[in-house]
Amino acid sequence: MARVLKSLAIISICALGMTACAKTDEPGGAQTPGQQTGPVKIGISLPLTGDFSEPGKGIQEGYQVWADQVNAKGGLLGRKVELIFRDDASDPNRVSSDYESLITQDKVNLVFGPFSSRLVIPAAKVAESYNMVFVEPAGAAKEVFEQGFKRLFYAAPAIASDHYNYLADYILKLPADQKPKTAAYASLDDPFAQGTAYGLRDKLAAAGIKTVVDEVYPPETTDFAPIAAKIAAAKPDIVVGGTQFEDSVGLVRALQELKVQPKLAAFSTGPTLAEFPTAVKGAAEHIISPVGWSATATFTGNQDMVKRYKEMFGGEANEDAANGYTVGQIVEAAVSAVKCVDPTPECQNKLADHIRQGTFDTVVGPLSFDDQGRPEQAHMIQQYVDGKVQIVLPESAKTADIVYPKKEW
Amino acid sequence: MSLLLQGLALGVLTGGLYALLASGLSLYFGVMRVVMVAHPAFLFLGAYLTYTVHTVFGLDPFLALPVTVPLFFVLGVAVQRLLIARLAPENLAMMSVLLTFGIALTIEGLLGTFYTGSYKSVSMDYATRSLTIAGVHLPYDKIIAFWVAAITLIVLFAVLVKSRFGQSLRATIQHREAARLVGIHTERVAGYGFGVGLATAAVGGTVLALITPFFPASHWVWIGKLMAIIVVGGLGSVIGAALAAVLLGVVEGLVLVTVDATWATMMFYVFLFLTLLARPQGFFGGRLAHRF
Repeated sequence: MARVLKSLAIISICALGMTACAKTDEPGGAQTPGQQTGPVKIGISLPLTGDFSEPGKGIQEGYQVWADQVNAKGGLLGRKVELIFRDDASDPNRVSSDYESLITQDKVNLVFGPFSSRLVIPAAKVAESYNMVFVEPAGAAKEVFEQGFKRLFYAAPAIASDHYNYLADYILKLPADQKPKTAAYASLDDPFAQGTAYGLRDKLAAAGIKTVVDEVYPPETTDFAPIAAKIAAAKPDIVVGGTQFEDSVGLVRALQELKVQPKLAAFSTGPTLAEFPTAVKGAAEHIISPVGWSATATFTGNQDMVKRYKEMFGGEANEDAANGYTVGQIVEAAVSAVKCVDPTPECQNKLADHIRQGTFDTVVGPLSFDDQGRPEQAHMIQQYVDGKVQIVLPESAKTADIVYPKKEW
Repeated sequence: MSLLLQGLALGVLTGGLYALLASGLSLYFGVMRVVMVAHPAFLFLGAYLTYTVHTVFGLDPFLALPVTVPLFFVLGVAVQRLLIARLAPENLAMMSVLLTFGIALTIEGLLGTFYTGSYKSVSMDYATRSLTIAGVHLPYDKIIAFWVAAITLIVLFAVLVKSRFGQSLRATIQHREAARLVGIHTERVAGYGFGVGLATAAVGGTVLALITPFFPASHWVWIGKLMAIIVVGGLGSVIGAALAAVLLGVVEGLVLVTVDATWATMMFYVFLFLTLLARPQGFFGGRLAHRF
């Protein structure tokens, strides 16, 4: 038995360290000793393997499209851009050491952020300690902005708790006879996913819409039927999920199986991915999600980005790629404005000051930031209407009318 | 009350699935004292093959089984002969963890290479509805999973109890040296035992494909749960694992509907710790461990 216990101990240790087993470094190309004349090196660690590998790769592609376009235009301040990628395997410890070595050993000029709030916080701590500007594509949880970072900026329209703002406004303006009275919330135990659901919950609860289920499930959850059973028993008017992909599919399927028929069903990430409609087999119709980017939007550079993405990677660009690209657009604008791109505190401070004060035209719309680096805009709201993803809110960006109440699934 | 009944019903159905997923793990340990960390990775390899059969040929996921079951059996024999059999016997449990950990990573890498990291799923119309009895909903995908698990386990028990191979296998489990002395090819039996274990992974993989979307790293979530089940059930006891699986499935379902999801997930580890403290051989370890 002692041997078995030992084995189990080893399994746990291995499980903790498992992500340390796959690493795909891409060393930078030949380096010119004089930094001023060589390429502008940008250090990036991304979860290219592990739990966040899918969005991590999307962000990487967005960065690559941006670098490709900048280089085609002659580079940053006349110097070619070279991206140096590390794979942190979705591991918060690896992400710290990656940025540490990118800054101290590769001597990069700039760093761009990783994916997920869980990796952004440790990464930003390192960047901050070397006075580097840290524009990141995917750290939307409110905790990210509570760490006192001075050089962190989140390059998307809104932080997690503001994702559902347009939907909250819509619901609260419904005529009294249509307005939902009860709501059920189920959320993944993850600062981002939870943040989105709670942002909506707090606004609706303050307006008198009763919270009848408020369930948080750990990432290991594989079975969503009992959660759906709880929701079924409460018979809520609306169901809101703070979700990533697997759990959004699990929840939708379980709600469908347990015959829960809410008037409105909203899930954060998941329905925004192309695989979603197939995975839920016909149940996607009228599901709502907040979305930070749309392929059809005409914001600065968006159509060029979509086109170039297709040429480089063969598929359709997604929100992750757009967020990566947005980081590039903001940093590019700042570098062009302050005319320096060195890792020195003077230059990095100038860049940070510029980003804090400016408004930037990007593929996700004009972006500006508050003192904590939070973007000051809001997410659009998408809905599956007749099998297609349509933007339904806000009025100014909509491609179709919102359908409420939703049809039965 | 109806919520409790609902939780209980879902728990039993999910427990059946857990029993199927854990049975192979229990068998490897029973026959060879091998802790097979790669079992869930093979489950998802099965899920991916099912996905391929379903999307490329448009066949029902269960029609993948005539391909995947024999394939996995052969694969299991090969893995045992080529890799496991070479491990030093005095340190087998520990070394097998490390070796199979490597196998799991290799499978994950291959799946990532061939199928990319994006989510795959096999959704069937018949699996999105449910049967309602007295207000209790029983999802068809879970009913299917339960029955597939039950049938597979019955076949497995029948093989273990009735067939000559099963007798050799049980003899090997009971006393390897004695079995060798009475003329059983324990090495060959071990290979076949491994093959049978992986064959159950092929079935489990198909069922998983039907009920959950998956990506190459999905298997890590399962290893802790399945390990907890076989330790609680009594290492090496296939019946113990099956009973522990249903027990934990029910506890999980009931805790989920009465308390919350975080506690429900923790129940596996609570039971694991309690079992190790109170009855280290597992609930069914002492009396049943060598009897299935």
